[in-house]
Amino acid sequence: MISYRLSDFILFSDKAYYRQFELYNHAIWPLHLIALVFSLVIIYALWKKPAWAGRVIAALLILSWIWVAWAFLFERFYHIHIVANWYAFGFILQAGLISWYGVIKNQFSLFVQSKFRINIGLVLLFIALIIYPLIAFVTGRSWLQFEMFSLAPDPTVLATFAILFLCKVSAVLYVVPIIWLLISGITLVVM
Amino acid sequence: MKEQHNKHRRRFLQLMALGLTGSISLIRPGLSQAGMGRFIMKSIPSSNEQIPVIGLGSSRTFNVGDDPLALDNVANVMHHFFNAGGKLIDSSPMYGSSQPAIGYALNKLAKTKDVFSADKVWTWEPGNGLAQIEQSRKYWQIDAFDLMQVHNLVSWQEHLKTLFSMKQKGKIRYVGITTSHGRRHDELEEIMKTQRLDFVQFSYNILDREVEERLLPLAKQRGIAVIINRPFQRGDLIDELVGIPLPTWAKTIGCNTWPQFLLKFIVSHPSVTCAIPATTQVEHVNENMVACFGPLPNHEMRKRMIDYVEKFI
Repeated sequence: MISYRLSDFILFSDKAYYRQFELYNHAIWPLHLIALVFSLVIIYALWKKPAWAGRVIAALLILSWIWVAWAFLFERFYHIHIVANWYAFGFILQAGLISWYGVIKNQFSLFVQSKFRINIGLVLLFIALIIYPLIAFVTGRSWLQFEMFSLAPDPTVLATFAILFLCKVSAVLYVVPIIWLLISGITLVVM
Repeated sequence: MKEQHNKHRRRFLQLMALGLTGSISLIRPGLSQAGMGRFIMKSIPSSNEQIPVIGLGSSRTFNVGDDPLALDNVANVMHHFFNAGGKLIDSSPMYGSSQPAIGYALNKLAKTKDVFSADKVWTWEPGNGLAQIEQSRKYWQIDAFDLMQVHNLVSWQEHLKTLFSMKQKGKIRYVGITTSHGRRHDELEEIMKTQRLDFVQFSYNILDREVEERLLPLAKQRGIAVIINRPFQRGDLIDELVGIPLPTWAKTIGCNTWPQFLLKFIVSHPSVTCAIPATTQVEHVNENMVACFGPLPNHEMRKRMIDYVEKFI
């Protein structure tokens, strides 16, 4: 006799999932322009490494994680996924951790020297900021379903990962992003 | 993956030359009967009320949030379901936004009085059961549920007390309990033996026939109506049958497609009252509802159906 499979825990279709992004993007326009400014400021801060870089990067990440938690996970995704409120809680927790390690302890101003980590970080950042928003269009979905850093969970987590790779930060900051990448990866594969 | 499944089904439908499927959306059940044989209803043993053997599930398929296009699609699917003679729609608080979507469609179609509403109570806090049922009723936009079931045996002792009390007060008409995926059958059997249930719901299909051993005979013996969920193993069964020719003798039982073949197998079991396939596609609901018409396979034919499918899967 059959038993539960992972896909049995995903009670929405891929079509319904991606339509949430389309409706969300429509609802929050023109916040995308602010998100774009966030991306440009982070790129500038990582490139030029000014004295304010660490705390500003942390602050922008905090705003992004809180916004995604509230506006997307709780206000939208929760409608079709009954555990999305827990996801939102996880995102708020991560915002709290970034506040402590990023703003108070200023760990995002401690940049790594390892070429390997820098390369990994830059590739991840490129994927998060440039590639991810194009995926909807490239895969044949409506371009309006694009997912953007600061506004959608996956590119926000990916960009955070990139920044963690580029900075000497506490390992605690990796926990929530790793859990999210597992959850999101499994969801995208089985839905 | 589901897009691929839909494409396969669509292609398969196109290959079906008889065109019976398409016709059902255009005609009323009464007229359909003239062209496609009798419309098959079965009795609920506890009341002798008759319901069509094909219902409509809503797990996953109707969970569309507040998407206006998708909500209208739900309404369109339900419109074709009702047009083909369908009555019973099943949902649960576990299915995300499916309940409000059903309510939207019922209201839009002015069918709040006509539907046979089957929902579930699903909370580990028995004290919250009544409030959850009332919230579900508001989502459905109906006066009262016909059938309320305990979902997945969750806190069933307490919830059944609540449901029997509601039935006694006339707030619901039938009481049931559900499971799926072949889980907790021993416990379900015990409940069926000891509780005065009107309905029971579990998974059954042409490949997963464990329930034929004990649960289906017990339902018959105890006079319990049986709803079958996951008739296509959430589409996997149909995916596996794509490319396999339907036997020519399937036409003798009114089946022109694999989904009809699989549904006819299920609802032809003497203990089964109805099956509840779920879909987002109008063409699928039309196709499924054809299984409500024509002859039902007898015991020998059912064996032949199993043998044929098991040759390939």
